[in-house]
Amino acid sequence: MALFVFWVLLSASFEWIHLCLGLVCSFIVAWINSGHSPFVPKSRLAVRVLLYLPWLFYKIVQSSLHLSKLILHPALPIAPQLMTVESRLNHHAAVVLFGNSITLTPGTITAEVDRNTLIVHAMDQELGEDLAGGKKEMETKIADIFRDVEPDL
Amino acid sequence: MKTFLFCVLVLLVILIGVYLYRVLQGPTIFDRVLGLNGISTKAIILLIVMGLYFERVDMFIDISTGYALLNLVGALAVNKYLEEKGAP
Amino acid sequence: MTILSIAFIVAGLFFLVVAAIGVIRLPDVFCRSHAVSLTDSLGAFLMLLGIAFYEGLDKNTLKILVVLSLLYILNPVIAHATIRAALRSGLKPWRKETP
Repeated sequence: MALFVFWVLLSASFEWIHLCLGLVCSFIVAWINSGHSPFVPKSRLAVRVLLYLPWLFYKIVQSSLHLSKLILHPALPIAPQLMTVESRLNHHAAVVLFGNSITLTPGTITAEVDRNTLIVHAMDQELGEDLAGGKKEMETKIADIFRDVEPDL
Repeated sequence: MKTFLFCVLVLLVILIGVYLYRVLQGPTIFDRVLGLNGISTKAIILLIVMGLYFERVDMFIDISTGYALLNLVGALAVNKYLEEKGAP
Repeated sequence: MTILSIAFIVAGLFFLVVAAIGVIRLPDVFCRSHAVSLTDSLGAFLMLLGIAFYEGLDKNTLKILVVLSLLYILNPVIAHATIRAALRSGLKPWRKETP
């Protein structure tokens, strides 16, 4: 179904031959790929993820302003470091979302994932503080998104 | 607006040149992969701005979508190969 | 509307230029990848948003949003793959020389 919406979005034409072709193609692709992914997303989860996105965008703006200040500074005051982040997330999709958010935020990049332990390369002490420090804001929000899904990790 | 878009195009090409310096100069091979990734992101933006300049956005957007997907596949293949084999 | 879109595009170009300076200046792969991710996340977002504003509400705007979400999903994957390959092939991250 989602694939059919995607087809309509990409072709952007509403003649019936295009619609029928898109319906057939999306059914074939969905039938081939059925049973590969054990995770079936629920609609209320999608709503929560959409509500999470503006906060993530605020975080991106904040840290990218910090990072451009670091880059444009004449003395280049960077202190790159590897840190290990031990999270308490217990769901595959939650860990994927967490790592993706970390990498999307400028200044921190996920380097290695093993179950729920992530190795993060951070550019600065202050940028890494959000993840490994006392606050753990992002992890709390993601755990809140996945609070009523049974753990599978 | 036309002149402004032309200036944006020229600036994007200059930025691609900067990334190309990193690709040619890079000490390790990962610098080159990273520079190619940056170049492809610039190329996607360049294609869309070019479509706006020629007023044919509907055609150029499809090209840029295909370019983004090709970039993903190419970069992942190179990185998987390097991860198995180690840096030369 | 044109003024707004020009403002967005100029802000995006600022971040693209900062990222290019970072790619030249920073000392090793891990740091440079931060600069590239700065380009992807904020520079591309602001520029494509400006172009979408200039286009007005149209089917092209929807397509621009599709390209944007594609960039947002795919670019972290590429950055993560590069960094993991660099780390596993035994590259040591650069550190500031402690006196």
